[in-house]
Amino acid sequence: MSEIQQTEQRSGLIAPCIAMVLALIAGGAALQGYADHRYASVAEYQATKLAQDITAQANPSQFAQESEKQGFLVRMIEDQKGQSKYSFLRKLKYQVDPERQGKALDPNDDRDKASADAFLAALGGAKVSDVTDSKGHLLAKRGMHRIDDLHVAAADAKVIAYQAPWFKLLGFAILGFVLWGLCVKFGPRKRWPPLLGFLLGGAAILTPVAMELFGLDGRILGDWASKVPTSGELIPVAAALLPIVGFGVYGMIRRGVASPNRLAFTYITPAMLGMALLILVPFAIGVGLAFMHHDHGHYTFVGLRNFIDIISSDGTSITDPLNFYFTLGVTILWTLTNVFLHVAIGLALALILKNPTLRFKGVYRVLLIVPWAVPSYITALVWKGMFNKQYGLINNILETLGIEPIAWFGQFWTSFSANLTTNTWLGFPFMMVVALGALQSIPTDLYEAAEVDGANQWQQFKKITLPLLMPALLPSVILGSIWTFNMFNIIYLVSGGQPNGATDILIVEAYRYAFEQNRYGYAAAYSMLIFFILWGYSKVTERVSKAAESVYG
Amino acid sequence: MSQQQEEQVCDPKGSRHIGTHIFLILFTIVTLFPVLWVIKMAFRDNQTFATDLNPLPTEFSLQNFIDIFNAPYFGQQLFNSFVISLSTTIVGVFLACTAAYAFSRFRFPGRQAGLNAFLVTQMFPGTMMMIPLYLVLDTLGLLDQTLGLIFVYSTTSIPFCVFMLKGYFDTIPKDLEESALMDGASQFTIFWRIIMPLSRPAIAVTALFSFMTAWNEYVLAATFMSKESAYTLPVRLQSYVGNYTTEWGHFAAGALLVSIPVMILFFALQKHLVGGLTAGAVKG
Repeated sequence: MSEIQQTEQRSGLIAPCIAMVLALIAGGAALQGYADHRYASVAEYQATKLAQDITAQANPSQFAQESEKQGFLVRMIEDQKGQSKYSFLRKLKYQVDPERQGKALDPNDDRDKASADAFLAALGGAKVSDVTDSKGHLLAKRGMHRIDDLHVAAADAKVIAYQAPWFKLLGFAILGFVLWGLCVKFGPRKRWPPLLGFLLGGAAILTPVAMELFGLDGRILGDWASKVPTSGELIPVAAALLPIVGFGVYGMIRRGVASPNRLAFTYITPAMLGMALLILVPFAIGVGLAFMHHDHGHYTFVGLRNFIDIISSDGTSITDPLNFYFTLGVTILWTLTNVFLHVAIGLALALILKNPTLRFKGVYRVLLIVPWAVPSYITALVWKGMFNKQYGLINNILETLGIEPIAWFGQFWTSFSANLTTNTWLGFPFMMVVALGALQSIPTDLYEAAEVDGANQWQQFKKITLPLLMPALLPSVILGSIWTFNMFNIIYLVSGGQPNGATDILIVEAYRYAFEQNRYGYAAAYSMLIFFILWGYSKVTERVSKAAESVYG
Repeated sequence: MSQQQEEQVCDPKGSRHIGTHIFLILFTIVTLFPVLWVIKMAFRDNQTFATDLNPLPTEFSLQNFIDIFNAPYFGQQLFNSFVISLSTTIVGVFLACTAAYAFSRFRFPGRQAGLNAFLVTQMFPGTMMMIPLYLVLDTLGLLDQTLGLIFVYSTTSIPFCVFMLKGYFDTIPKDLEESALMDGASQFTIFWRIIMPLSRPAIAVTALFSFMTAWNEYVLAATFMSKESAYTLPVRLQSYVGNYTTEWGHFAAGALLVSIPVMILFFALQKHLVGGLTAGAVKG
């Protein structure tokens, strides 16, 4: 700890960052053991709670119908005592044979196998074919070997996974450490407020560790952690946190002293609070996930394993579409070609439309920005239809010209071109509008002077327009390239990565890992790499744009 | 600058303009082709993809629109989209205006760090945020709630809006505020009575962006809204495009309905678009 404080004094921003990283690693490692231990009972808790909710309803069957409308598949069964119960199996077609209720699962019975398969599928999308005898074991381990238990326990698996208690605890740990960092840096007296923040962060980590060490099996905390906190329960927590935040802010103001600062903070606080909650916190959780392995709702701390796997490309060759470097290459190619076309077309149109004697230029301008106004997912789906091999318009035009129809999504280059065409259509209006604005800011006397000196149009463009346009266009180009690098909709909806995922860019690949394979940790690590690449890129371009500004600006 | 001066500068020869017009007309036709295509399909009483080359509507049937309006929960979903987009615009623009004003007018510790942080958020891959955001909304009990999407959209649009507005605020001369300060106006009065009215074009563009972000967003809405009654229009629209069959007629009609409000706003504000954007782009 003393090390951190020393660094603190040397440099302002590094220390809170170190504190955050430390909190993530320490918190993640400590809580992981605890989370594994707690998982099963949380799942049970959730299921029981759902069952209780239903039986508590005055009109259970109506409640069941309501739930069905919300996407649950509800099947009514009778338990041994003859009371009504419902199983809530989300989007899962599954009904129990009434004869077999209350009997032990038989691994050799086909119907029981099917039940167990369905249960496992509900718990996290296990491949049904993978599950043979081990499923009986798995169910038994969780004390759910009876069919009516099975029903109740198979309640919405997604919710169970998301509400794993360590997520919340990890959140507290991070919050504690961030607050601690803030307090150390900005605290007014530099003694007890820092201590409070530190205690809060430490307690969040130490509690589960202590539970594990003393064998308290975590029942008390587990019950608490698996509950969704109501707003009433959140108020005391918020009340406890407020003074700490207050001291931090107070310290900041005291340090900043002059009144304009206080005003400035008043102005930015609302925006910053929102950003902290909905951008900073999810970001921190995402970073935490990158060090985890996710398997059917279980999270295991694996350190840098995910990153190593990605960077070593899981041993695939560089020509394999799933290879990280292959995808990276495709992404860079995608970004470069797109930005080049956007700027080239946008600038060319702007130069044409700039001409004051051209008639109807207002009409052209309005019509040419239409693609910008169309939602990108609609654009993507329409273009996908246009590139369809059988009924698509593009092939239709080719046929009228006497050219063989092309299976656009069959080869890499045609598929890539289809994506490129769509995104170029989508993106050039933005550059056109920016270039039009930038052109207007160039003083006309420069051209007059050039005219007097006998410069021709091309020389004027090269010596006046381009250099003066550069600093104005550069921020938009940088922003545009970042957007294109992360342009999910077009790739995912137009080519869908065909053929064989070869046209996927990094962000689509990350999405597939997360939502098609449920490898949350791996996907988070992938996303972090994307982030680092863009961050590095922006550092480089920052220098370029500063240099450009100092030369031309 | 006067019209005459520009004429001299650009040196137009009458003959050259015909070529320019032909090029522009061709380019505009190519640009508008997919849009005309959607309009054509929307008014056909047919769910297949139109295959002939003529992009103009050949029949005029409102059946697709009637089908869409009669679909379950459609009214609710339309209402959701409107409420979410309008609230996002109001909340987002308000937050962005105040923050951008502070960044433009005050020099305070953490200013540069804050601006950098805004830029960095633009680089977060969406996939990195989706699972954690789900979790945060779940904890706050805001899944399947319009309020949840309003929060998410207004915060995610803040960085870009702040950049645009800050760029514009930077171009407003400080003398105005200083003289108002002399006359005894409070800081808030200056912000509300001087800066805001002067920045109307930039605010209009920012509002347009916020609205469009919220109105057009699909992935997050599809992830956070699981009840059909909580869907927004993009999520509804997506359901017409299946893996194996696509109801192109319904999709096209829906696409038109979704695009029209955005188009109206877009063209109402497009005059400000050039000014608003470049102020941000030049000084950003």
